[in-house]
Amino acid sequence: MSADVTGANPAADPVGVTRAEHFATVGQQRHAATLGMWAWLLTELLLFAGLFLTALILRLLHPEAVQAAAGHLKFWIGATNTVVLLCSSLTMSAAIELSRLGWQRMMVGCLLATASLGALFLMLKGYEYYADYEEHMMPFLARRPYALAEQPATRLFVNLYYVATALHALHLFTGIAILLGITWKASRPGFLQRHQNWIEVYGLYWHFIDLIWIIAFPVLYVVNR
Amino acid sequence: MSSAGTLHGDAAARDPHTPLPTLDRPDDYLHAQSTLRSWFLTTDHKRIALLYLASITAFFVIGAVAAGFVRLALVVPDGAIMTNDTYNKAFTIHGVVMVWFFLIPSIPATFGNFLIPLMIGAKDLAFPKLNLTSWYIFMTGALFTLVAVVLGGVDTGWTFYAPLSTAFSNTWVLPALIGVTIVGFSSILTGLNFVVTIHTMRAPGMTWFRLPIFVWTHYATSLIFLLATPVITLALILLIAERAFHVGVFDPAYGGDPVLFQHLFWFYSHPAVYIMVLPGMGVISEIVPAFAQKKLFGYRFVAYAAIGLASVTFFVWGHHMFVNGQSDLASLAFSALSFAVAVPSAVKVYNWTATIHKGSLRLDTPMLYAMGYIGLFVLGGLTGLYLATLAINQHIHATYFVVAHFHYIMVGGTVLAFLGGLHFWWPKITGRMYSEPWGRISALFIFIGFNVTFFPQFILGYLGMPRRYATYPPEFQLLNVLSSAGSTILAAGYLFPMVYLVYSLWFGRRASANPWDAKGLEWETASPPPPHNFAGVPQVPKVPYDYPIQAPETGSHHT
Repeated sequence: MSADVTGANPAADPVGVTRAEHFATVGQQRHAATLGMWAWLLTELLLFAGLFLTALILRLLHPEAVQAAAGHLKFWIGATNTVVLLCSSLTMSAAIELSRLGWQRMMVGCLLATASLGALFLMLKGYEYYADYEEHMMPFLARRPYALAEQPATRLFVNLYYVATALHALHLFTGIAILLGITWKASRPGFLQRHQNWIEVYGLYWHFIDLIWIIAFPVLYVVNR
Repeated sequence: MSSAGTLHGDAAARDPHTPLPTLDRPDDYLHAQSTLRSWFLTTDHKRIALLYLASITAFFVIGAVAAGFVRLALVVPDGAIMTNDTYNKAFTIHGVVMVWFFLIPSIPATFGNFLIPLMIGAKDLAFPKLNLTSWYIFMTGALFTLVAVVLGGVDTGWTFYAPLSTAFSNTWVLPALIGVTIVGFSSILTGLNFVVTIHTMRAPGMTWFRLPIFVWTHYATSLIFLLATPVITLALILLIAERAFHVGVFDPAYGGDPVLFQHLFWFYSHPAVYIMVLPGMGVISEIVPAFAQKKLFGYRFVAYAAIGLASVTFFVWGHHMFVNGQSDLASLAFSALSFAVAVPSAVKVYNWTATIHKGSLRLDTPMLYAMGYIGLFVLGGLTGLYLATLAINQHIHATYFVVAHFHYIMVGGTVLAFLGGLHFWWPKITGRMYSEPWGRISALFIFIGFNVTFFPQFILGYLGMPRRYATYPPEFQLLNVLSSAGSTILAAGYLFPMVYLVYSLWFGRRASANPWDAKGLEWETASPPPPHNFAGVPQVPKVPYDYPIQAPETGSHHT
């Protein structure tokens, strides 16, 4: 019990968690929050797993068509975005470490850097979509001619590329919005005494979005390139 | 209202129209606050359970009315009562509403929400705000689906198979699909909340093997919520993209495959059967020992069987596709695995029966429902073995045999367990007793009505009547009329509780903390419980189901 009440006395410790009424101990509350996020990430993993499985089956069924279509994806934008997200995970990890140390100002800086890198990813992704549009690589647009119309299976792969990347971008967009909300709260005095574990729990989600991209990038852009 | 005062001296205190000094206000969770805001923005798991109870009852009524239309149309063989279109829409509304908006949330979202914290000795679920959020997500999804119904309905059936749903149906498929996708998130968040709560919020001394089976089955159900629901979310997202943008995943013209949708769909929807069945098994495992006053037979095996069912169920989805061009080897494997499901199911049934054996039996309403459940579940389960057999499946695939089989599980199982649980925990939830004679009469009506409705459908299916047709050969009329007649008895059985349970809210006898002499932490606190469930930290008994009679009956042996 005594080990569980970390931060019960805010004056003594600059870092801690305020116990919510329905939890018996702070340790229980921290455990619940972390486990809850892991459980959520498990569902997210299964959501994307179905998509990647579909993409992989497609590669097995129609290797040439998929290769032709994958060649039109902007490899270097994708690669740059991979680096951008990896950097954002680095700043997120730094924010978690800093939150444990109680260095609030630097932590807020790292959180802002993380959000900015996330936004940079989305901007690059948006530019990539624009370039795809210019190249007539948007088969789902009924009125716009499609560049690889003679190979029907390419259409399916390119469309799946949009579903997968859009679903990832939606997660990232939501992630940035939540991150900005947390950053705003985290910039207030005493935040780390009350809600330090928010940063750790949120960090799990951010790393997960990163991980999904690390799987999506090779599955869509790299294999058989 | 005025008669209440004459029946019970203090009943006027419950009348919201009578202003009373705050001192007289009971301080249980129902009366601690009374504003609308205190209900719609509550984070109390017990109040959220009641929000769910009200909403799923409304959906049950909608789904039941649609079923009534289906049975009405099938009274005549030539489709004179309903056109094909109307008939298709009626059975689709029935299926969509009953599966997605009643059966899946039914026991977990109401009793699970209400009881899990009470049973493990916690003040609330781990994430109370998330719990409220899931109810709002549920209602948002329901709104989309109801819009689809009001605008003119959907005719794809609850399964939304491609390519009918993606390319051919001219009905409001998109809003219905969006609604069902949204509802999935509500399930996921409820499951997540339960898993985390059961892992982290147990009272000191509440070890895993002191948990009531109800909590075990909800743990198993929550794992299915977490592992299977995201897959249907993805399948539905792809289906929406397919219908709206012609993505091509389920369209052979672009190298896609409509059967892929069936795989993704049943990868969720078969486990979803256990989302619907397992919580009911939890309810029965609580009722049977209480009304036999006997310790649950083989506690650990019943607990393991719940986890076993939740595991095996992920590997049997192919048995829905025996006639869809799946390879013979795959069909053989899925057939064998489907047989394996019978083992943990039978373990549960044998253990309930062994618990009843030489118990001190009371046939009160909840027990009548539980006995009905066991009988109907056995019938539904055994006919499932027919369907899992490849050769027989060829003959009865997509016939009324299938319809009867899953109604024995879904209605005979889940709905009876839901009603049994509702009567069992009604005194705890509301603090009032309902009319016992009316309870028994309705249980009897439901059991008889159910069998008259659905047993003829086994015969119809065996004789070859396919499901989902508005017309049928005239020689099937007698059995169809019998089935429709049975559904009116069933409807009466459903209507009675709606009346006498609501009546009991104001005029029922006050319930004591433990009116059934049942064991379990939820019976240790007041009826209805105070806002934070327990006055202090509850004392966990050393053994679950510590009833006077031991199981197996060893006489002098006491633990």
